Amino acid sequence: MTKVTRRELLVGTSAVALSASLPGQIFPAAGGGTAGKIKRGVTFYSYQEEYYKHEVGVEDCFAEVASMGATGVQLIAEEMVPNYPNPPQPWVDNWQAMMAKYKTEPTNLDTFVDVYVGGHRTMSTEEAAETLIGQIRLANRLGFKVVRPTTGPVEQPATEMIERALPMAEKYDVRIAPEVHAPIPLDGKYINSYLELIHKTSTKHMGFTVDCGIFCLRVPRVFIAYHTRHGAQKRVTDYVSKAFEDGASHDQIVAAVQKMDPSPADLQCARGSLGYGPVTNKPQDLARLMPYIYNIHGKFYEMTDELSEYSIAYEEIIPVLEKIGYEHSIDSEYEGQRWTQDAVPTDSFEQVRRQHVMLRRLFGEI
Amino acid sequence: MFESQMILTRGFQNVYENGQPIGFQILLKTAYYRGVFLDIIGPIEITVDGAKYSGDQLRLTVDGRTFTLEEAGRTENVHWDFGTAMIVTVLTPGGLKPGIHEVTVTQGVNPSYVPPNVFRATGHKRMTLVM
Repeated sequence: MTKVTRRELLVGTSAVALSASLPGQIFPAAGGGTAGKIKRGVTFYSYQEEYYKHEVGVEDCFAEVASMGATGVQLIAEEMVPNYPNPPQPWVDNWQAMMAKYKTEPTNLDTFVDVYVGGHRTMSTEEAAETLIGQIRLANRLGFKVVRPTTGPVEQPATEMIERALPMAEKYDVRIAPEVHAPIPLDGKYINSYLELIHKTSTKHMGFTVDCGIFCLRVPRVFIAYHTRHGAQKRVTDYVSKAFEDGASHDQIVAAVQKMDPSPADLQCARGSLGYGPVTNKPQDLARLMPYIYNIHGKFYEMTDELSEYSIAYEEIIPVLEKIGYEHSIDSEYEGQRWTQDAVPTDSFEQVRRQHVMLRRLFGEI
Repeated sequence: MFESQMILTRGFQNVYENGQPIGFQILLKTAYYRGVFLDIIGPIEITVDGAKYSGDQLRLTVDGRTFTLEEAGRTENVHWDFGTAMIVTVLTPGGLKPGIHEVTVTQGVNPSYVPPNVFRATGHKRMTLVM
């Protein structure tokens, strides 16, 4: 395939370059190649809006994953598990039956340990660990081998809680994989604290979930368009976009916008840019996290008509994952709907499908 | 998220006690991408035709159990499921008049990974109350 550099991908030549590299026949006959060892999956989070509106149920999501030849099923427990964290056994039995019927595998159960209890009190480390252990039991019941607990502030590691829960993680053979999510830098305290814990304990039951939003090279244009519709000014959104791409820190961006006579939407746009990148993260920096990456969130905001993600250079990420020997699942995580649903109807299924064609292309299958 | 979808039209009605309207109720879904235990719910404010209701005037009914906001803040084992509406009852003697009303709802959710007072969603709907 034509080599597309990082910069070219971002300055608008991507459409031409990528379509030039696509074979004429995008959808091959059934039984097409399965070259790579990385598996394709979907987190049902992607289908949140259709589920929320009761347009689809859990089985529809399974069937959709299977129809794309994907195998990984990821779940946000508190999004779809009834009577969380203790679903009735018939529901669990049905969950297992769906896995078998659609030939899928549970990849990662995303959970939350709300250590500040909505601001009313703070959990002790012991209580947080007990909560996490309950989630590990749930993961075990649903067949998940990985659990991603989100706890306090995104950039703050929860090493003590995880260390306390490790014996139960080992007992149930579930890996605890906290998320590396924007705006976490790959060379900072968050990663280092967890790597130290892994080395100190020699555990095989702790690692990472990596969200590809950390590799945003520009803020999503659907994010900018949303704020524009809600009163952000072009001079501000242009500044935020460019400053982000140039590597300005979040604090710098917010401080600069505060001096630009900002509207509320301008400020929201500046603050929201924290949800992406930082651009200083490079895919090859994932090498030092191996072999502890147990799941990847294939985060995306907008799959273009050229079957490429607008902000995230998967064209760079996938070859790196192959090179460093990642062999678990990359699970589509569509998050653009929150920036478009006020203006146009959401079709999560279409967006995820586009990402799966992209993945098949990058895996060399088509 | 879900600002345009969180307020349901169905179920919008006055609430009666001994034949007298003591308030009205609205069905409300979360604006967040997951369900939460009630203690994670933040402030809720309802405005109808310019009149604001909040705090002690509100009751939340989830799974058939009814809570004040203060009680909800201490309730760590009742879950408001994603995509499932709770009943928000607004206690205001006389209720609302039949007809079309401008309804605005602001709801807060306080997950621990988000700084306090950040996740707030405001939705608006023009909808009709029959009785």
